[in-house]
Amino acid sequence: MSDHTHTEDPERLAEFEARVAAGEQVETGEWMPGEYRQEALRLIQMHANSEIMGAMPEREWIPRAPTLSRKMALTAKVQDEVGHAQLLYRVAETLGRSRVQMIADLIEGRSKFHNVFHYPAETWADVAVIQVFVDGAAMQTQGALRSSSYAPYARVMKRICYEEDFHIRLGLDVYRTLADGTPRQRAMLQDAITRWWVPLLHFFGMPDRVSPHTEKMLRWRLKVKSNEELRQQFLRKFVPIIQEAGFTVPDPALRWDEASQRYAYAEPDWEELKRVGRNQGPKSAERLALRQDYHRRHRWVREAVERWGLLAA
Amino acid sequence: MGPARRLSALEQDVWAVFRQATKHDPHVYVGDVHASDPEMALLLAKEQYARRDPCVNLWVVRYSQIFATDYGDADMFRPATDRSFRFGGSHRDQQRVYREAGRRRDDEE
Repeated sequence: MSDHTHTEDPERLAEFEARVAAGEQVETGEWMPGEYRQEALRLIQMHANSEIMGAMPEREWIPRAPTLSRKMALTAKVQDEVGHAQLLYRVAETLGRSRVQMIADLIEGRSKFHNVFHYPAETWADVAVIQVFVDGAAMQTQGALRSSSYAPYARVMKRICYEEDFHIRLGLDVYRTLADGTPRQRAMLQDAITRWWVPLLHFFGMPDRVSPHTEKMLRWRLKVKSNEELRQQFLRKFVPIIQEAGFTVPDPALRWDEASQRYAYAEPDWEELKRVGRNQGPKSAERLALRQDYHRRHRWVREAVERWGLLAA
Repeated sequence: MGPARRLSALEQDVWAVFRQATKHDPHVYVGDVHASDPEMALLLAKEQYARRDPCVNLWVVRYSQIFATDYGDADMFRPATDRSFRFGGSHRDQQRVYREAGRRRDDEE
């Protein structure tokens, strides 16, 4: 980032960039520009944080799931998400920051997690919306990152996408059950769609500007597609799921433009995204406090494990 | 006992996991876990890597016990001279003999 200007050997840098441009991937332990390492770490650490924080809104619904089979499927999904966090923290570690440090960064509010996990899951219909649309949005980003230039990240992304695909299918089952349900169930689902619409647009980040930073991230294949490309890809796949079930997208300006093959939509309030990014979302403080509380309560477990490790070594 | 020597969180407590899908398959590297001893590593490996994929056996190996070649030396795997004789497809004469023998047999039948 700007506060960290690395001066690299231009010859080595040129060689690295040529390799990445040729589609080659970078492995742990290989030489990489300092800025590449830092950007990859920032990206993967935030992704790991988002998996672990993303388990929280759905976790709240495990005790209240409407049937036993829904409860079991939801529990399994939450386990998958926490598993993804473990995989991703391990990949981030290979770039030089310990998992212990990253967990501390997260719960002390020094690192970020995705905007959508700062919002409440008020009803069971929110669970459907999270599983279909939030996971669907994540799938656009993650699917693209399977061709990331950082090989350990790309490998883990394959496994994660494989599991996210199950989650979307599970979510569509919950979604269709509510969509085919009573007027009250349909109203509940419409309400959830309405509340989640702006956070979903925000999910992909700020509109594309031609910035040297974005350009470099794309050139290094730490980003594979631009924010707006991913947002449009999401809208193409998921707006029909809302409209075909007879629900309304809460944006009167939304329309499909045949000529450009894109959706036009009303600009959401980008200031809200920035606020949420600073952990000032509606649920940021409460969820971080819960994480901190569990971290404190589990301290004796970590200490016991560490001591046992020293004895066993 | 105080918080004595700190295990390096980066390597000491990291284990590589190898999963065997069926007894007909080799163990294949699938990822890592953090654990302080082999039993914990196996337990976490089961939870992390055998939730959906078939598995009959798991191996865990401490990273410190793994020795590897360098990616920078990958050139050494590229044969310096023509080694096509290592592949069946290159034995053209043998294939020609078989094909002709087959044709003769077909003609006779």
